[in-house]
Amino acid sequence: MFDLQSLGIEYGTLAMFVLLLGFLITGMPLAFVTLLIALIFTLGWFGPMAVPLITSRVYSFVSSFVFVSVPMFVLMAAILDRSGVARDLFDAMRLFGGRLRGGVAVQTIFVAVILAAMSGIIGGEIVLLGLIALPQMLRQGYDKNLAIGVVCAGGSLGTMVPPSIVLIIYGLTANVSIGDLFTSAFIPGFMLAGFYVAYVLFRSYTGKNIAPPPQTEKIPHAEKMRLLKGLFLPIMVVFCVLGSIYGGIASVTEASAVGVAGVIASTVVRGEFSIAMLKAAAVQTLSTCGMIVWIGIGASALVGVFNLMGGINFVSGLITGISDDPITIILFMMLILFILGMFLDWVGIALLTMPIFVPIVKQLGFDPVWFGVLFAMNMQVSFLSPPFGPAAFYLKSVAPPDITLGDIFKALLPFICLQILAVGILIMFPGITGR
Amino acid sequence: MATSPIDPPHEDIPPAIDQDAATDDVPAVSGRLGHIVNKLSPIFAFGFLLAMGVLIFEIFMRHVFNDPTLWAHETTTFLSAVGFVFGGLYCASRDKHIRVVMLYDFAGPKLRKALDVGISVVCMIASGFFAWAAWLMVKRATITPSGDIHLETTGSAFNAPYPGLLKVFLLLTLILLMVQFFWQAINYMRNTPVTGSDQTK
Amino acid sequence: NAQDYSLKFQSSDAAGVPNFVLEQEWAKRVSDMTGGRVVIEMLPVNSIVEHAETQDAISAGIIDGHITDTSYFTGKDPAFGLIANPVGAWSAPSEMLRFVEYGGGKELMNSLVEPYGLHFIGAVTPGLEAFVSAVPLDGVADLKGLKMRAPEGMVQQVFAAAGAAPVNIPQSEVFTSLDKKVIEAADATVFSTNQAMGLHDVAKHPVYPGFHSMPMLEVSINKAKWDSMPDDIKAILEMSVRDLAHDMDARLAMKDMEAVAKARSDGGVTIHNWSAEERAKFRQIATSQWEKVAARSENAQRVYDTLVKYLTAQGMI
Ligand code: NA
Ligand code: NA
Repeated sequence: MFDLQSLGIEYGTLAMFVLLLGFLITGMPLAFVTLLIALIFTLGWFGPMAVPLITSRVYSFVSSFVFVSVPMFVLMAAILDRSGVARDLFDAMRLFGGRLRGGVAVQTIFVAVILAAMSGIIGGEIVLLGLIALPQMLRQGYDKNLAIGVVCAGGSLGTMVPPSIVLIIYGLTANVSIGDLFTSAFIPGFMLAGFYVAYVLFRSYTGKNIAPPPQTEKIPHAEKMRLLKGLFLPIMVVFCVLGSIYGGIASVTEASAVGVAGVIASTVVRGEFSIAMLKAAAVQTLSTCGMIVWIGIGASALVGVFNLMGGINFVSGLITGISDDPITIILFMMLILFILGMFLDWVGIALLTMPIFVPIVKQLGFDPVWFGVLFAMNMQVSFLSPPFGPAAFYLKSVAPPDITLGDIFKALLPFICLQILAVGILIMFPGITGR
Repeated sequence: MATSPIDPPHEDIPPAIDQDAATDDVPAVSGRLGHIVNKLSPIFAFGFLLAMGVLIFEIFMRHVFNDPTLWAHETTTFLSAVGFVFGGLYCASRDKHIRVVMLYDFAGPKLRKALDVGISVVCMIASGFFAWAAWLMVKRATITPSGDIHLETTGSAFNAPYPGLLKVFLLLTLILLMVQFFWQAINYMRNTPVTGSDQTK
Repeated sequence: NAQDYSLKFQSSDAAGVPNFVLEQEWAKRVSDMTGGRVVIEMLPVNSIVEHAETQDAISAGIIDGHITDTSYFTGKDPAFGLIANPVGAWSAPSEMLRFVEYGGGKELMNSLVEPYGLHFIGAVTPGLEAFVSAVPLDGVADLKGLKMRAPEGMVQQVFAAAGAAPVNIPQSEVFTSLDKKVIEAADATVFSTNQAMGLHDVAKHPVYPGFHSMPMLEVSINKAKWDSMPDDIKAILEMSVRDLAHDMDARLAMKDMEAVAKARSDGGVTIHNWSAEERAKFRQIATSQWEKVAARSENAQRVYDTLVKYLTAQGMI
């Protein structure tokens, strides 16, 4: 067998990145690219006896309770997509945003923030918005890039706006208060959503053919009432989900099941319920989750192998060797997170970097809560950044076939810049976190 | 582009995705196994609905009767996990896994065919290794050192054999995945180079 | 001197937790004491495999050892759950450590883990856990109907027997569930760590010292590796683990007391301390559950017999 160990960890890491990119562009399914690299390095570095490490990670990843809310959100989306609920919701929102150029895109961000407050994880929300908001915007004549960006960036807010699984895992790793993390993440989360809104408005008012012109003719009263009726059921569902979380009835994951039940009940009320519809929605959920989860599986396996290769010592040595200036070290960490974000999903990044970064940050005398928020903000970038951008993959899984991954990534570039701007602001003005 | 403030009637709006796509159209390269996986898919899809029902039941029991179950969360996790694992095979059979198709799109028919065959073969070999590793894992999760059959349990008060069952299920799925990639490789090899292009990306 | 053994150990603690720092210091001491012949890399929880998978990983030779809560392997054999946390048996780390070192515990542990390809070097413990509660709890009667989180292992069963309603939610949802009052109480960890994680911000009635749980962390190593080691290294490892137990007990207890003093002076948190009678009542309920666990496997029965024999001989029951 070929011996990769002789490469040493430095060249080993490099070889890993090169191989990742190499296999990625052949068109091999992403999930299998990361799994394959994990396998090659396991075999080449440790030999066949270590391969069970990968299957162990696969097993642990799929049996983690935090991912239960992903199929729930996808199921919600799939059922909404097959009923008229979502369409009526967006029609009704025309009443509010109709007078604003770019109104529907702004509303989509608004809906995304509400969804983010209902969930701690991403995946489901992007699928939901991708099935519901994206076609609405496209049909109303919104610029394709803007519409795609709004859905992916907005749908990723789930781990920035509390509750957030990234912050929870950070809190458990860093031994800091999860409540403090949530409190500190509120304003940065809204700030980021605010950036998106400002960008949408700027583009809509300054660009040509970016958003449909605002509505001028008056909607008759009877029509208004008909449209408003469309808001009732969605608001009831949102009320039930948020109410069950903040009313102390259900945990965050359980509340996602409440959402599914609410959406099913809505279809019954509207007379749209059928077993065939439910079955089709469930099968779509199976397919979408198969895609989403297997991408995460691969990344998790790869990080396990990298850590076993001595990755933790390597990366921490890299950081402490870079400079004596604390801010330079923080910026270097941001760079590492940014680069990793191009190749791994957040589970892998958190697994790899949190144990390394947290002790260093504490030692440098920075506030670990502030750094946690910074970390979560950086994960926002990782969801969108190519070539491995989970948000883009989730959207691709449900977008019309003529929208390619390339289109999606192109559309995401301005939003990535906004996120990097938000990271910069958090570093320059740590006070935004209230710390 | 049309920007009429009055939207077209609902009938005119194309659905976001082909809603029936989820229930049919297995690519021909997946062969008979692809159809079997497709036929089985509603069972595992139903598991997600069941998981939802279990969570609602738990909320109900805890809140109305102040009597939370000991089994709801383990059971939901198990049902979802089984769905996630099978979902990977399902996507492989239907060629729905996400790919970056930069090189692929520029490739001519011959190179495409070579890529299709090569990717399937590599994935088959990898799945084979994983299936073998899963077998080692399953042995530890089903047979005690003294040689008795004992499915690994959750260790909770409910103590269901979910970990053991899930590991066995993962093994079976990985074997099927390997077989699926084998047939895809064979069928890609048999096909004329042109047919590779109409697959889903 | 040449480096003879380069070992990877995975902990069940996260990188930023005080416990993990103590474990890293232990690894460093082992290297110092062996003159660099043994180098141990301490890896935080989940870094190579998930917390409940380390036993398999060690026996497969993927990692070399672990410092982990033995009750994570209850699903493999109920015996692990019973020996890891015989709820009610120990009221202080020294009591458990005496049993492990001199009362037959070590031999018992080795008879349990050796068939899995591991060798048990010794036990340590973070100490008596504090109980996190949002409602005042002053005795066993207050547990009736209490919606609380408890993890796998015996703890859940004991609380169910005491009349509480244990919910099996994962650690990652403990904070939000307490905050939103989905649950009223939780089995978490020691007082200082609970305090640091902000659990007392949302659950202001902790019970300290705790009454319910003192987990055993086992320090184990791949058996083949162990067997290949010379006697001096074996002795150093054993002695250093015994020292780690003392280190962990002392330094975490100090942290706890510091955190308790701070909580008292800051106000807002009411610390409840159960009376001896209430503690005895809970212990009574707990020990009644041992037999049930013992019936689940031959090994569990052996653990039960050894434990009861020891406790009886010491006049502890
Ligand atoms: Na959220
Ligand atoms: Na990325």
